[in-house]
Amino acid sequence: MTTYTTRRFLQTAGLLIAGIVLSACSKQEAPKTAAAPAASAPASAPAPAAKVYVVGTDAAYAPFESQNEKAEIVGFDIDVVKAVAQKAGMEVKFVNTPWEGIFNTLQQGDRDLLVSAITITPERQQSMDFTAPYFDAQQLIAVKQSSKVTKFDDLKKLKVGVQTGTTGDEVVTKLQGKNSTSIKRFESTPLALKELEAGGVDAVVADNGVVINYVTNNPAAKFKSIADKAFQPEQYGLAVKKGNAELLAKLNKGLADIKADGTYDQLYTKYFGAPPAKAAAAPAAAASPASK
Amino acid sequence: MDLRWGILAGYGPLFAEGLWATIELTIVAITAGLLLGVLLGLVSSSRDAPPPKSVALAMVLKAARALTLGYVTFFRGTPLFVQILLVHFAVMPTLIHPDNGLLLAGEAAREFRQSHGAFFSGALALTLNAGAYISEIFRAGIQSIHGGQTQAAYSLGLTHGQAMRHVVLPQAFRRMMPALVNEGITLIKDSSLVSAIGFAELALAARTVAGAYSRYWEPYLAISALYLILTLLLSSLAKRLEAPAHLRGR
Repeated sequence: MTTYTTRRFLQTAGLLIAGIVLSACSKQEAPKTAAAPAASAPASAPAPAAKVYVVGTDAAYAPFESQNEKAEIVGFDIDVVKAVAQKAGMEVKFVNTPWEGIFNTLQQGDRDLLVSAITITPERQQSMDFTAPYFDAQQLIAVKQSSKVTKFDDLKKLKVGVQTGTTGDEVVTKLQGKNSTSIKRFESTPLALKELEAGGVDAVVADNGVVINYVTNNPAAKFKSIADKAFQPEQYGLAVKKGNAELLAKLNKGLADIKADGTYDQLYTKYFGAPPAKAAAAPAAAASPASK
Repeated sequence: MDLRWGILAGYGPLFAEGLWATIELTIVAITAGLLLGVLLGLVSSSRDAPPPKSVALAMVLKAARALTLGYVTFFRGTPLFVQILLVHFAVMPTLIHPDNGLLLAGEAAREFRQSHGAFFSGALALTLNAGAYISEIFRAGIQSIHGGQTQAAYSLGLTHGQAMRHVVLPQAFRRMMPALVNEGITLIKDSSLVSAIGFAELALAARTVAGAYSRYWEPYLAISALYLILTLLLSSLAKRLEAPAHLRGR
Protein backbone atom coordinates (compact mmCIF):
# COMPACT_ATOMS: atom_id res chain seq x y z
CA MET A 1 0.00 0.00 0.00
CA THR A 2 2.65 2.48 1.03
CA THR A 3 4.96 1.54 -1.80
CA TYR A 4 2.07 1.87 -4.19
CA THR A 5 1.22 5.39 -3.03
CA THR A 6 4.87 6.41 -3.00
CA ARG A 7 5.32 5.22 -6.55
CA ARG A 8 2.12 6.93 -7.56
CA PHE A 9 3.37 10.13 -5.93
CA LEU A 10 6.73 9.89 -7.69
CA GLN A 11 5.02 9.34 -11.02
CA THR A 12 2.82 12.37 -10.54
CA ALA A 13 5.72 14.48 -9.36
CA GLY A 14 7.78 13.35 -12.33
CA LEU A 15 5.03 14.25 -14.72
CA LEU A 16 4.60 17.64 -13.11
CA ILE A 17 8.30 18.40 -13.29
CA ALA A 18 8.44 17.26 -16.91
CA GLY A 19 5.50 19.50 -17.65
CA ILE A 20 7.12 22.50 -15.99
CA VAL A 21 10.41 21.93 -17.79
CA LEU A 22 8.64 21.53 -21.11
CA SER A 23 6.55 24.64 -20.70
CA ALA A 24 9.61 26.59 -19.58
CA CYS A 25 11.41 25.53 -22.74
CA SER A 26 8.56 26.50 -25.00
CA LYS A 27 8.27 29.83 -23.21
CA GLN A 28 11.90 30.56 -23.86
CA GLU A 29 11.50 29.62 -27.45
CA ALA A 30 8.44 31.70 -28.21
CA PRO A 31 9.97 35.21 -28.04
CA LYS A 32 12.98 34.05 -30.04
CA THR A 33 10.91 32.96 -32.99
CA ALA A 34 8.82 36.08 -32.72
CA ALA A 35 11.89 38.26 -32.71
CA ALA A 36 13.76 36.42 -35.44
CA PRO A 37 12.50 38.49 -38.37
CA ALA A 38 13.45 41.64 -36.47
CA ALA A 39 17.08 41.47 -37.50
CA SER A 40 16.48 41.19 -41.25
CA ALA A 41 18.43 37.98 -41.91
CA PRO A 42 18.35 34.87 -39.73
CA ALA A 43 22.10 34.44 -40.21
CA SER A 44 22.86 37.59 -38.28
CA ALA A 45 22.54 35.72 -35.01
CA PRO A 46 26.19 35.92 -33.85
CA ALA A 47 26.20 39.41 -32.39
CA PRO A 48 26.48 38.64 -28.73
CA ALA A 49 27.58 41.99 -27.39
CA ALA A 50 24.76 43.99 -28.95
CA LYS A 51 21.99 44.93 -26.56
CA VAL A 52 18.58 43.66 -27.56
CA TYR A 53 16.02 46.34 -26.92
CA VAL A 54 12.79 45.01 -25.51
CA VAL A 55 9.76 46.61 -27.11
CA GLY A 56 6.47 46.47 -25.29
CA THR A 57 3.31 46.38 -27.38
CA ASP A 58 -0.31 45.51 -26.71
CA ALA A 59 -0.89 43.20 -29.63
CA ALA A 60 -4.67 43.43 -29.75
CA TYR A 61 -4.98 46.53 -31.86
CA ALA A 62 -4.99 45.64 -35.52
CA PRO A 63 -3.76 46.99 -37.88
CA PHE A 64 -1.18 48.65 -35.62
CA GLU A 65 -0.20 45.56 -33.70
CA SER A 66 -1.72 42.14 -33.45
CA GLN A 67 -0.67 38.53 -33.39
CA ASN A 68 -0.94 36.33 -36.45
CA GLU A 69 -1.64 32.60 -36.54
CA LYS A 70 2.00 31.86 -35.85
CA ALA A 71 1.92 34.00 -32.70
CA GLU A 72 4.19 36.54 -34.33
CA ILE A 73 3.48 40.13 -33.48
CA VAL A 74 2.76 42.01 -36.68
CA GLY A 75 1.35 45.33 -37.80
CA PHE A 76 2.12 48.85 -38.89
CA ASP A 77 3.74 49.87 -35.60
CA ILE A 78 5.85 46.74 -35.59
CA ASP A 79 7.11 47.31 -39.13
CA VAL A 80 7.90 50.95 -38.33
CA VAL A 81 9.95 49.99 -35.29
CA LYS A 82 11.73 47.23 -37.22
CA ALA A 83 12.62 49.71 -39.95
CA VAL A 84 13.74 52.29 -37.41
CA ALA A 85 15.84 49.69 -35.61
CA GLN A 86 17.49 48.65 -38.84
CA LYS A 87 18.46 52.25 -39.60
CA ALA A 88 19.69 52.82 -36.07
CA GLY A 89 21.59 49.52 -35.98
CA MET A 90 19.64 48.26 -33.01
CA GLU A 91 18.33 44.82 -32.29
CA VAL A 92 14.76 44.68 -31.05
CA LYS A 93 12.53 42.06 -29.53
CA PHE A 94 8.76 42.54 -29.26
CA VAL A 95 6.89 41.43 -26.17
CA ASN A 96 3.13 41.39 -25.96
CA THR A 97 2.21 43.58 -22.99
CA PRO A 98 -1.33 44.26 -21.79
CA TRP A 99 -2.36 47.89 -22.27
CA GLU A 100 -3.35 48.27 -18.69
CA GLY A 101 -0.04 48.75 -16.95
CA ILE A 102 2.00 49.03 -20.12
CA PHE A 103 3.42 52.42 -19.09
CA ASN A 104 4.56 50.98 -15.81
CA THR A 105 6.82 48.53 -17.61
CA LEU A 106 9.01 51.42 -18.72
CA GLN A 107 9.53 52.56 -15.16
CA GLN A 108 10.24 49.02 -14.00
CA GLY A 109 12.79 48.54 -16.75
CA ASP A 110 10.89 45.52 -18.12
CA ARG A 111 10.67 47.23 -21.50
CA ASP A 112 13.06 49.67 -23.13
CA LEU A 113 10.52 51.27 -25.40
CA LEU A 114 6.85 51.03 -26.18
CA VAL A 115 5.06 51.08 -29.50
CA SER A 116 1.35 50.58 -29.22
CA ALA A 117 -0.50 53.33 -31.06
CA ILE A 118 0.33 55.51 -28.06
CA THR A 119 -1.01 59.03 -28.37
CA ILE A 120 1.37 61.72 -27.18
CA THR A 121 -0.40 63.66 -24.42
CA PRO A 122 0.94 66.25 -21.98
CA GLU A 123 -0.05 64.00 -19.05
CA ARG A 124 1.88 61.08 -20.45
CA GLN A 125 4.83 63.30 -21.22
CA GLN A 126 5.16 63.96 -17.52
CA SER A 127 6.05 60.35 -16.84
CA MET A 128 7.79 59.27 -20.05
CA ASP A 129 9.55 60.66 -23.09
CA PHE A 130 8.22 60.45 -26.64
CA THR A 131 9.91 60.43 -30.02
CA ALA A 132 8.75 62.69 -32.81
CA PRO A 133 5.23 61.73 -33.92
CA TYR A 134 5.03 58.94 -36.48
CA PHE A 135 1.28 58.76 -37.08
CA ASP A 136 -1.63 61.21 -37.16
CA ALA A 137 -4.67 59.79 -35.48
CA GLN A 138 -8.19 60.84 -34.82
CA GLN A 139 -10.89 59.50 -32.57
CA LEU A 140 -13.88 58.05 -34.34
CA ILE A 141 -17.32 57.14 -33.13
CA ALA A 142 -18.49 53.70 -34.18
CA VAL A 143 -22.24 53.09 -34.16
CA LYS A 144 -24.71 50.76 -35.80
CA GLN A 145 -25.81 51.86 -39.25
CA SER A 146 -29.32 52.40 -37.93
CA SER A 147 -28.15 54.70 -35.14
CA LYS A 148 -29.43 58.27 -34.88
CA VAL A 149 -26.11 59.49 -33.50
CA THR A 150 -24.57 62.12 -35.75
CA LYS A 151 -22.12 63.92 -33.49
CA PHE A 152 -20.08 63.41 -30.36
CA ASP A 153 -22.45 65.45 -28.20
CA ASP A 154 -25.22 62.93 -28.90
CA LEU A 155 -23.34 60.44 -26.75
CA LYS A 156 -23.90 62.40 -23.56
CA LYS A 157 -26.76 60.25 -22.32
CA LEU A 158 -25.88 56.98 -24.05
CA LYS A 159 -23.93 53.90 -23.08
CA VAL A 160 -20.50 54.18 -24.60
CA GLY A 161 -17.84 51.51 -24.85
CA VAL A 162 -14.15 52.39 -24.65
CA GLN A 163 -10.83 50.73 -23.95
CA THR A 164 -9.72 51.48 -20.39
CA GLY A 165 -7.20 54.29 -20.13
CA THR A 166 -7.12 55.20 -23.81
CA THR A 167 -7.62 58.69 -25.18
CA GLY A 168 -11.09 57.51 -26.21
CA ASP A 169 -11.75 56.81 -22.54
CA GLU A 170 -10.49 60.32 -21.71
CA VAL A 171 -12.75 62.20 -24.12
CA VAL A 172 -15.85 60.24 -23.15
CA THR A 173 -15.02 60.71 -19.48
CA LYS A 174 -14.79 64.44 -20.12
CA LEU A 175 -18.18 64.40 -21.84
CA GLN A 176 -20.06 62.28 -19.30
CA GLY A 177 -18.16 63.02 -16.10
CA LYS A 178 -15.63 61.09 -14.04
CA ASN A 179 -18.18 59.03 -12.19
CA SER A 180 -20.43 58.13 -15.07
CA THR A 181 -21.49 54.51 -15.02
CA SER A 182 -22.68 54.71 -18.62
CA ILE A 183 -19.10 54.33 -19.78
CA LYS A 184 -18.30 50.68 -20.25
CA ARG A 185 -14.59 50.06 -20.13
CA PHE A 186 -13.05 47.06 -21.82
CA GLU A 187 -9.60 45.58 -21.94
CA SER A 188 -9.34 46.03 -25.67
CA THR A 189 -11.03 48.06 -28.38
CA PRO A 190 -12.16 44.97 -30.33
CA LEU A 191 -13.96 43.73 -27.20
CA ALA A 192 -15.74 47.09 -26.91
CA LEU A 193 -16.72 46.86 -30.58
CA LYS A 194 -17.91 43.30 -30.01
CA GLU A 195 -20.15 44.64 -27.26
CA LEU A 196 -21.52 47.21 -29.71
CA GLU A 197 -22.27 44.40 -32.12
CA ALA A 198 -24.26 42.61 -29.43
CA GLY A 199 -26.15 45.78 -28.57
CA GLY A 200 -24.64 46.26 -25.11
CA VAL A 201 -23.50 49.81 -25.86
CA ASP A 202 -24.82 52.46 -28.21
CA ALA A 203 -21.45 53.60 -29.47
CA VAL A 204 -17.72 53.04 -29.17
CA VAL A 205 -15.14 55.80 -29.25
CA ALA A 206 -11.68 54.73 -30.34
CA ASP A 207 -8.78 55.51 -32.66
CA ASN A 208 -9.60 55.73 -36.36
CA GLY A 209 -7.16 53.06 -37.56
CA VAL A 210 -8.64 50.36 -35.37
CA VAL A 211 -12.27 51.31 -35.91
CA ILE A 212 -11.88 51.38 -39.68
CA ASN A 213 -10.06 48.07 -39.59
CA TYR A 214 -12.89 46.48 -37.60
CA VAL A 215 -15.60 47.96 -39.79
CA THR A 216 -13.84 46.70 -42.91
CA ASN A 217 -13.26 43.22 -41.52
CA ASN A 218 -16.71 42.79 -40.01
CA PRO A 219 -19.22 43.97 -42.62
CA ALA A 220 -21.86 41.75 -40.99
CA ALA A 221 -21.69 43.92 -37.87
CA LYS A 222 -23.28 46.78 -39.88
CA PHE A 223 -21.32 49.59 -38.28
CA LYS A 224 -20.65 53.05 -39.52
CA SER A 225 -18.06 55.45 -38.22
CA ILE A 226 -18.54 59.11 -37.48
CA ALA A 227 -15.83 61.73 -37.31
CA ASP A 228 -16.40 64.81 -35.19
CA LYS A 229 -14.57 68.10 -35.00
CA ALA A 230 -14.79 67.89 -31.22
CA PHE A 231 -11.95 65.40 -31.31
CA GLN A 232 -8.52 66.95 -31.21
CA PRO A 233 -6.11 65.51 -33.75
CA GLU A 234 -3.73 63.15 -32.02
CA GLN A 235 -0.28 61.88 -32.80
CA TYR A 236 1.34 58.60 -31.95
CA GLY A 237 4.89 58.41 -30.66
CA LEU A 238 7.32 55.78 -29.45
CA ALA A 239 7.68 56.00 -25.68
CA VAL A 240 10.86 55.52 -23.67
CA LYS A 241 11.66 55.84 -19.98
CA LYS A 242 11.86 59.45 -18.86
CA GLY A 243 15.41 60.67 -19.27
CA ASN A 244 16.60 57.92 -21.61
CA ALA A 245 18.02 60.51 -24.03
CA GLU A 246 20.41 58.09 -25.74
CA LEU A 247 17.71 55.71 -26.91
CA LEU A 248 15.40 58.59 -27.75
CA ALA A 249 18.05 60.15 -30.03
CA LYS A 250 18.62 56.80 -31.80
CA LEU A 251 14.91 56.32 -32.40
CA ASN A 252 14.36 59.86 -33.60
CA LYS A 253 17.24 59.54 -36.02
CA GLY A 254 15.90 56.25 -37.32
CA LEU A 255 12.42 57.70 -37.71
CA ALA A 256 13.77 60.68 -39.65
CA ASP A 257 15.74 58.29 -41.87
CA ILE A 258 12.80 56.08 -42.79
CA LYS A 259 10.67 59.12 -43.46
CA ALA A 260 13.38 60.58 -45.69
CA ASP A 261 14.05 57.46 -47.77
CA GLY A 262 10.42 56.54 -48.39
CA THR A 263 10.32 53.40 -46.26
CA TYR A 264 7.73 55.03 -44.02
CA ASP A 265 5.45 55.89 -46.94
CA GLN A 266 5.71 52.35 -48.22
CA LEU A 267 4.69 50.93 -44.87
CA TYR A 268 1.88 53.44 -44.58
CA THR A 269 0.55 52.54 -47.99
CA LYS A 270 0.84 48.84 -47.19
CA TYR A 271 -1.41 49.15 -44.15
CA PHE A 272 -3.72 52.02 -44.98
CA GLY A 273 -4.11 51.72 -48.74
CA ALA A 274 -2.77 55.15 -49.62
CA PRO A 275 0.29 57.20 -48.75
CA PRO A 276 -0.04 59.62 -45.80
CA ALA A 277 -1.86 62.85 -46.59
CA LYS A 278 1.18 65.10 -46.41
CA ALA A 279 3.49 62.89 -48.47
CA ALA A 280 6.55 65.06 -48.90
CA ALA A 281 9.23 62.57 -49.83
CA ALA A 282 8.04 59.99 -52.33
CA PRO A 283 10.69 59.69 -55.06
CA ALA A 284 12.81 57.06 -53.29
CA ALA A 285 9.93 54.60 -53.38
CA ALA A 286 10.96 52.88 -56.61
CA ALA A 287 14.63 52.61 -55.66
CA SER A 288 14.55 49.91 -53.00
CA PRO A 289 12.11 47.02 -53.23
CA ALA A 290 11.24 46.64 -49.56
CA SER A 291 11.78 43.12 -48.32
CA LYS A 292 8.15 42.59 -47.22
CA MET B 1 7.14 55.31 -3.10
CA ASP B 2 4.97 58.36 -2.96
CA LEU B 3 1.29 57.85 -2.51
CA ARG B 4 -1.06 60.44 -3.91
CA TRP B 5 -4.36 59.51 -2.35
CA GLY B 6 -5.80 62.74 -3.71
CA ILE B 7 -6.28 61.20 -7.12
CA LEU B 8 -8.99 58.95 -5.68
CA ALA B 9 -10.97 61.83 -4.22
CA GLY B 10 -12.85 62.72 -7.41
CA TYR B 11 -13.81 59.09 -7.94
CA GLY B 12 -15.68 58.61 -4.64
CA PRO B 13 -19.09 57.93 -6.20
CA LEU B 14 -17.58 55.51 -8.72
CA PHE B 15 -16.02 53.46 -5.91
CA ALA B 16 -19.23 53.61 -3.85
CA GLU B 17 -21.32 52.39 -6.76
CA GLY B 18 -18.69 49.80 -7.60
CA LEU B 19 -18.75 48.50 -4.04
CA TRP B 20 -22.52 48.24 -4.10
CA ALA B 21 -22.46 46.50 -7.48
CA THR B 22 -19.94 43.99 -6.13
CA ILE B 23 -22.12 43.28 -3.10
CA GLU B 24 -25.24 42.85 -5.24
CA LEU B 25 -23.46 40.57 -7.67
CA THR B 26 -22.04 38.41 -4.90
CA ILE B 27 -25.32 38.10 -3.02
CA VAL B 28 -27.18 37.05 -6.16
CA ALA B 29 -24.47 34.57 -7.12
CA ILE B 30 -24.13 33.07 -3.64
CA THR B 31 -27.89 32.61 -3.26
CA ALA B 32 -28.44 31.17 -6.72
CA GLY B 33 -25.24 29.13 -6.51
CA LEU B 34 -26.35 27.66 -3.19
CA LEU B 35 -29.71 26.60 -4.61
CA LEU B 36 -28.10 25.11 -7.68
CA GLY B 37 -25.40 23.46 -5.60
CA VAL B 38 -27.86 21.83 -3.17
CA LEU B 39 -29.89 20.49 -6.05
CA LEU B 40 -26.89 19.11 -7.92
CA GLY B 41 -25.30 17.86 -4.70
CA LEU B 42 -28.41 15.85 -3.90
CA VAL B 43 -28.47 14.46 -7.42
CA SER B 44 -24.86 13.36 -7.37
CA SER B 45 -25.09 11.84 -3.90
CA SER B 46 -28.19 9.89 -4.89
CA ARG B 47 -25.90 7.13 -6.07
CA ASP B 48 -25.58 5.93 -2.46
CA ALA B 49 -29.31 6.07 -1.78
CA PRO B 50 -31.45 2.95 -2.09
CA PRO B 51 -32.61 2.69 -5.74
CA PRO B 52 -36.10 4.08 -6.39
CA LYS B 53 -38.87 1.60 -6.97
CA SER B 54 -39.90 2.73 -10.44
CA VAL B 55 -37.50 1.96 -13.25
CA ALA B 56 -38.29 5.20 -15.07
CA LEU B 57 -37.28 7.27 -12.07
CA ALA B 58 -34.06 5.31 -11.76
CA MET B 59 -33.24 6.06 -15.40
CA VAL B 60 -33.97 9.76 -14.96
CA LEU B 61 -31.75 9.90 -11.89
CA LYS B 62 -28.97 8.14 -13.73
CA ALA B 63 -29.15 10.61 -16.61
CA ALA B 64 -29.26 13.53 -14.17
CA ARG B 65 -26.15 12.21 -12.43
CA ALA B 66 -24.30 11.94 -15.72
CA LEU B 67 -25.30 15.49 -16.66
CA THR B 68 -24.26 16.79 -13.26
CA LEU B 69 -20.91 15.09 -13.53
CA GLY B 70 -20.30 16.70 -16.93
CA TYR B 71 -21.38 20.09 -15.66
CA VAL B 72 -19.24 19.96 -12.53
CA THR B 73 -16.25 18.72 -14.50
CA PHE B 74 -16.51 21.61 -16.94
CA PHE B 75 -17.03 24.40 -14.43
CA ARG B 76 -14.38 23.16 -11.99
CA GLY B 77 -11.91 22.41 -14.73
CA THR B 78 -11.93 25.67 -16.67
CA PRO B 79 -10.94 29.15 -15.44
CA LEU B 80 -13.71 31.38 -14.18
CA PHE B 81 -12.29 34.22 -16.25
CA VAL B 82 -12.83 32.20 -19.40
CA GLN B 83 -16.32 31.22 -18.28
CA ILE B 84 -17.24 34.88 -17.80
CA LEU B 85 -16.01 35.83 -21.27
CA LEU B 86 -17.71 32.78 -22.77
CA VAL B 87 -21.04 33.62 -21.17
CA HIS B 88 -20.95 37.30 -22.01
CA PHE B 89 -19.47 37.37 -25.48
CA ALA B 90 -20.65 34.02 -26.83
CA VAL B 91 -23.62 32.54 -24.98
CA MET B 92 -25.55 35.72 -24.24
CA PRO B 93 -25.31 37.23 -27.74
CA THR B 94 -26.75 33.99 -29.09
CA LEU B 95 -29.70 34.17 -26.73
CA ILE B 96 -30.21 37.90 -26.50
CA HIS B 97 -29.34 39.92 -29.58
CA PRO B 98 -31.10 42.87 -31.22
CA ASP B 99 -30.99 41.21 -34.64
CA ASN B 100 -31.45 37.50 -34.11
CA GLY B 101 -31.49 36.55 -30.43
CA LEU B 102 -32.97 33.13 -29.76
CA LEU B 103 -34.68 34.17 -26.52
CA LEU B 104 -35.01 37.90 -26.91
CA ALA B 105 -34.61 40.07 -29.98
CA GLY B 106 -35.28 43.59 -31.16
CA GLU B 107 -35.53 46.66 -28.99
CA ALA B 108 -36.16 44.65 -25.83
CA ALA B 109 -32.90 42.78 -26.31
CA ARG B 110 -30.96 46.00 -26.79
CA GLU B 111 -32.59 47.50 -23.73
CA PHE B 112 -31.87 44.44 -21.61
CA ARG B 113 -28.31 44.11 -22.76
CA GLN B 114 -27.60 47.76 -22.09
CA SER B 115 -29.03 48.07 -18.64
CA HIS B 116 -28.53 44.59 -17.22
CA GLY B 117 -26.39 42.68 -19.70
CA ALA B 118 -23.06 42.70 -17.91
CA PHE B 119 -24.65 42.16 -14.50
CA PHE B 120 -26.70 39.27 -15.79
CA SER B 121 -23.78 37.59 -17.58
CA GLY B 122 -21.52 38.11 -14.58
CA ALA B 123 -24.07 36.76 -12.12
CA LEU B 124 -24.82 33.80 -14.37
CA ALA B 125 -21.17 32.87 -14.80
CA LEU B 126 -20.45 33.23 -11.07
CA THR B 127 -23.57 31.23 -10.18
CA LEU B 128 -22.75 28.39 -12.55
CA ASN B 129 -19.19 28.29 -11.25
CA ALA B 130 -20.18 28.45 -7.57
CA GLY B 131 -22.94 25.90 -8.16
CA ALA B 132 -20.39 23.37 -9.37
CA TYR B 133 -18.16 23.82 -6.32
CA ILE B 134 -21.06 23.92 -3.85
CA SER B 135 -22.54 20.73 -5.26
CA GLU B 136 -19.25 18.99 -4.53
CA ILE B 137 -19.18 20.43 -1.01
CA PHE B 138 -22.68 19.03 -0.55
CA ARG B 139 -21.89 15.63 -1.95
CA ALA B 140 -18.80 15.37 0.24
CA GLY B 141 -20.72 16.60 3.28
CA ILE B 142 -23.45 14.01 2.86
CA GLN B 143 -21.02 11.22 2.18
CA SER B 144 -18.98 12.14 5.23
CA ILE B 145 -21.81 11.06 7.50
CA HIS B 146 -21.15 7.45 8.43
CA GLY B 147 -23.34 4.91 6.73
CA GLY B 148 -24.26 3.44 10.12
CA GLN B 149 -26.33 6.53 10.83
CA THR B 150 -28.65 5.93 7.88
CA GLN B 151 -28.79 2.22 8.67
CA ALA B 152 -29.82 3.08 12.22
CA ALA B 153 -32.42 5.54 10.93
CA TYR B 154 -33.89 2.89 8.60
CA SER B 155 -34.05 0.36 11.42
CA LEU B 156 -36.05 2.86 13.44
CA GLY B 157 -38.55 2.88 10.60
CA LEU B 158 -37.59 6.15 8.94
CA THR B 159 -37.88 6.42 5.17
CA HIS B 160 -34.86 7.52 3.15
CA GLY B 161 -36.24 11.02 2.88
CA GLN B 162 -36.85 11.23 6.60
CA ALA B 163 -33.41 9.85 7.35
CA MET B 164 -31.85 12.50 5.13
CA ARG B 165 -33.91 15.34 6.59
CA HIS B 166 -33.65 14.48 10.27
CA VAL B 167 -30.41 12.56 10.61
CA VAL B 168 -27.94 13.08 7.78
CA LEU B 169 -28.45 16.64 6.55
CA PRO B 170 -28.40 18.42 9.94
CA GLN B 171 -25.04 16.85 10.71
CA ALA B 172 -23.74 17.28 7.19
CA PHE B 173 -24.64 20.98 7.16
CA ARG B 174 -22.46 21.65 10.15
CA ARG B 175 -19.54 19.94 8.49
CA MET B 176 -20.12 21.84 5.27
CA MET B 177 -20.14 25.25 6.89
CA PRO B 178 -16.39 26.00 6.75
CA ALA B 179 -16.21 24.90 3.12
CA LEU B 180 -19.28 26.95 2.21
CA VAL B 181 -17.89 30.05 3.90
CA ASN B 182 -14.68 29.50 2.01
CA GLU B 183 -16.65 29.33 -1.24
CA GLY B 184 -18.46 32.56 -0.34
CA ILE B 185 -15.17 34.34 0.29
CA THR B 186 -13.78 33.03 -2.98
CA LEU B 187 -16.87 34.27 -4.76
CA ILE B 188 -16.52 37.81 -3.36
CA LYS B 189 -12.93 37.95 -4.55
CA ASP B 190 -13.62 36.32 -7.91
CA SER B 191 -16.37 38.82 -8.66
CA SER B 192 -13.51 41.18 -9.54
CA LEU B 193 -13.04 39.17 -12.74
CA VAL B 194 -16.39 40.44 -14.00
CA SER B 195 -14.70 43.78 -14.66
CA ALA B 196 -13.43 42.15 -17.86
CA ILE B 197 -16.86 42.49 -19.44
CA GLY B 198 -17.17 46.15 -18.51
CA PHE B 199 -19.44 45.71 -15.49
CA ALA B 200 -18.91 48.71 -13.23
CA GLU B 201 -17.99 46.91 -10.02
CA LEU B 202 -15.22 47.60 -7.54
CA ALA B 203 -12.31 46.34 -9.61
CA LEU B 204 -13.41 48.35 -12.64
CA ALA B 205 -13.48 51.51 -10.53
CA ALA B 206 -9.84 50.89 -9.64
CA ARG B 207 -8.95 50.05 -13.23
CA THR B 208 -10.57 53.27 -14.35
CA VAL B 209 -8.36 55.31 -12.04
CA ALA B 210 -5.29 53.27 -12.96
CA GLY B 211 -6.06 53.79 -16.63
CA ALA B 212 -6.53 57.53 -16.25
CA TYR B 213 -3.45 58.23 -14.12
CA SER B 214 -1.17 55.26 -14.78
CA ARG B 215 -0.87 54.95 -11.02
CA TYR B 216 -1.37 51.58 -9.42
CA TRP B 217 -0.70 51.67 -5.67
CA GLU B 218 -3.55 53.95 -4.66
CA PRO B 219 -6.52 52.46 -6.53
CA TYR B 220 -5.60 48.83 -6.02
CA LEU B 221 -4.66 49.25 -2.35
CA ALA B 222 -7.97 51.01 -1.81
CA ILE B 223 -10.05 48.21 -3.31
CA SER B 224 -7.91 45.58 -1.55
CA ALA B 225 -9.00 47.17 1.72
CA LEU B 226 -12.64 47.14 0.61
CA TYR B 227 -12.54 43.49 -0.50
CA LEU B 228 -10.84 42.63 2.80
CA ILE B 229 -13.63 44.31 4.73
CA LEU B 230 -16.24 42.38 2.74
CA THR B 231 -14.58 39.00 3.26
CA LEU B 232 -13.95 39.65 6.95
CA LEU B 233 -17.58 40.63 7.39
CA LEU B 234 -18.73 37.43 5.73
CA SER B 235 -16.43 35.19 7.74
CA SER B 236 -17.39 36.80 11.04
CA LEU B 237 -21.07 36.39 10.19
CA ALA B 238 -20.47 32.78 9.29
CA LYS B 239 -18.57 32.12 12.52
CA ARG B 240 -21.88 32.38 14.33
CA LEU B 241 -23.31 29.60 12.20
CA GLU B 242 -20.46 27.23 12.89
CA ALA B 243 -21.21 24.84 15.70
CA PRO B 244 -18.78 24.28 18.57
CA ALA B 245 -16.91 20.99 18.45
CA HIS B 246 -19.18 19.12 20.85
CA LEU B 247 -22.22 19.79 18.66
CA ARG B 248 -20.63 18.64 15.43
CA GLY B 249 -21.57 15.22 14.21
CA ARG B 250 -18.87 12.58 14.29
